[in-house]
Amino acid sequence: MKIAVLLSAGRHPVSGAAVLPRLEAQAIRIAVRLGEAFGVLDGGSAPFGLHAGPDAATVADALGQGLARIEHLVLPEGVDPVPALAEHLAATAPDVILAGRRGQGGGESGIVPYALAAALDRPLIADVVSVAPGDEAGTLRLDQSLGRGALRRVVVRGPVVATVHPDAPASLAYAFGRARRGTIVSLEPTAEPVAGPAIPVEERPYRRRPKIVKGAPAGGSAAERLKAATGESGAAASGRLLVDPAPEEAAREILAYLRRVGVVAPDSTRPNS
Amino acid sequence: MTRLRRDPRAERAAIQVATIHVAAGARPRYDRTAKGAAKGAALAADGRSRRDPRAERAGQRVPGANRPRFDLSQVVAGPAVRGEMPVVGESRQPAAPKIVVVEDPAFLVAVVPDAAGGRLSGHDRQVLGAARMLAGREGGVVVVSAGPCEGCGPAGADRHVALAEPGADPAARAAVVAAALEALNPRHVLFPESLDGGDLARRVAVRMGAALFDNAEVVAATGLVRPARGRRVEQRAAPGLLATVAADAVPDYGGAPREARAVTVETVPAPASNLLSAERIPADPATVPLALAEFVAAAGNGIHDLDLFRQVVAALHATPGASRVLCDAGLMPRHSQVGASGTVLAATCYVALGISGAPQHLQGIAGCEHVVAVNTDLHAAMIERAGLAIVQDAQAVMAALLGLLEQEAARHAAGDPASGDRTGAAS
Ligand SMILES: Cc1cc2nc3c(=O)[nH]c(=O)nc-3n(C[C@H](O)[C@H](O)[C@H](O)COP(=O)(O)OP(=O)(O)OC[C@H]3O[C@@H](n4cnc5c(N)ncnc54)[C@H](O)[C@@H]3O)c2cc1C
Repeated sequence: MKIAVLLSAGRHPVSGAAVLPRLEAQAIRIAVRLGEAFGVLDGGSAPFGLHAGPDAATVADALGQGLARIEHLVLPEGVDPVPALAEHLAATAPDVILAGRRGQGGGESGIVPYALAAALDRPLIADVVSVAPGDEAGTLRLDQSLGRGALRRVVVRGPVVATVHPDAPASLAYAFGRARRGTIVSLEPTAEPVAGPAIPVEERPYRRRPKIVKGAPAGGSAAERLKAATGESGAAASGRLLVDPAPEEAAREILAYLRRVGVVAPDSTRPNS
Repeated sequence: MTRLRRDPRAERAAIQVATIHVAAGARPRYDRTAKGAAKGAALAADGRSRRDPRAERAGQRVPGANRPRFDLSQVVAGPAVRGEMPVVGESRQPAAPKIVVVEDPAFLVAVVPDAAGGRLSGHDRQVLGAARMLAGREGGVVVVSAGPCEGCGPAGADRHVALAEPGADPAARAAVVAAALEALNPRHVLFPESLDGGDLARRVAVRMGAALFDNAEVVAATGLVRPARGRRVEQRAAPGLLATVAADAVPDYGGAPREARAVTVETVPAPASNLLSAERIPADPATVPLALAEFVAAAGNGIHDLDLFRQVVAALHATPGASRVLCDAGLMPRHSQVGASGTVLAATCYVALGISGAPQHLQGIAGCEHVVAVNTDLHAAMIERAGLAIVQDAQAVMAALLGLLEQEAARHAAGDPASGDRTGAAS
């Protein structure tokens, strides 16, 4: 069982300093746990990191987060990393390739894992929060986040690419000793750089834009938008007030309201409701 | 052209209302609407019809908004022969929405909604609004949904392609959607940048070998804008083939409903899935973090019987929360505190039991769409904020609520097993 974690040169969202993206630190934790489950924690088959870019110093933090080895494909600045990564991964053939769902501080398009999965002809499982060995030999059980704590549990056979969701367990603590012991191996990629599909863009400093106020009528007046923003329209404006109802009556009203909103399952014993 | 000569006296006599007792000196009465009919018939004879600007204006009125708004792009032909029906009767029902039809769109803008459960989400509607903006007057918006999807017309779709449900595997879904898009050959394709929509968009982009402009925060025919490098810069590009639209960035479509005419395209069978199995595990309300919970019930200083509160929360399948007073007193764990110094909720529904609604607490529930409050104080801020407010002792209401839920559960247990199966399938 070989496990690879794709590492990107991230930027801190506030300071702009080079950091290991949070999602990739979480991916390392998943990789280490999976390695423990398969008993491959040390030696040549331990989970390893893979970075393609001009400089590996930015991803050296990953050693302290739990990886023993990082393979660094030396690429000039601004070159599409997908062909080099695909070639290297096709040669080393890890069974599980983990990546963050988006980069951090770069283009942040999140397309690299998909392009890699297509190049390697493997299934991609998006937004996982945990990876564990399946019941049958050679299968993996992955939990995908569906948002709001709901999960989809999928079982797949064979090598997969998976991207990690922020709801995955928090990363392991950084250990200085581990970071000192870890090694970074530099490799020269042989793949020809291929220009992927790209859109010519014009860059400007970011400008915040107002979010759409939910519930405000399209093309309504400023007064209507203000009402929607302060919560005076919608539920609160059409609110019901019951003063001193009988508790049973109040309970029925609350339950009917919650069912109408859809957070409580409908009463199945009454066929018409 | 010879025109018929009018005979005013005869016209007047024709519209006089026949009264039963024509008492001497009683005022004659005339039916003016009938006069229109008589005149209309006369005019129809020489084939000329008159415009009715008022009726045309009424037909252009966009229903809904308080302020009158008119869609001048619609040319509403007046009735061919004026007066066949009284105009008064027609202008009384301008509310009947006029469906806008784009017969032969110059180009197509496709939207691939999430449409979980066959219904458009709020985000899907916003994407449709963006697509409508890109399509303008000549273009057509086509919804490409995997599985059925209702309510596309009012949301702004001119065409609707409902593909066969390809199953749980997103790769199969992407293959089916990409094939349909190739058959439709749209100028732009928009996806919502949600968990499923973003995933599908990237799979389709890789499959079609096209670039994806993801997470667009501005959508206009002149250009799309997306944030990059940790929101330090924004990138602007002309609308390309594929784009995803961020949530809450673009307003819904607000105009008259469109027809959403069903269209079929040649489809490919979904490829064999790599997934051996896929099962959905719903969130456990008791353990889901408060910030992620969908439905929260919280107790405040007005609750003395916390055991009863915990039972009610469990029976409702809600996530428990509390105000700061209870957390400070050690009656509820700190991680259940709702408010400015606790957790800011993303829940859709919030039940506040015995909570006064201090500003610090209300900040935590600003995003909750539906609020239920039970409080003994009619003037509490929470009562004002709530969609359903009940001025009553919370202990009594909780006991009644628990009783009601237990009664239903007992009825359910005693009921036929078929109803049990139905809940199993629904949940
Ligand atoms: C810096 C700062 C930060 C804060 N942050 C938070 C925060 O994050 N979250 C938070 O919650 N608070 C916060 N607070 C505290 C906040 O100001 C209020 O003190 C607190 O929210 C009040 O909680 P309560 O509504 O439960 O209690 P109370 O204000 O005592 O209200 C109790 C309510 O229960 C009603 N009641 C009484 N008996 C019954 C009954 N039998 N049945 C029904 N209703 C009954 C009363 O009418 C009253 O309205 C903060 C305060 C400060 C200064």
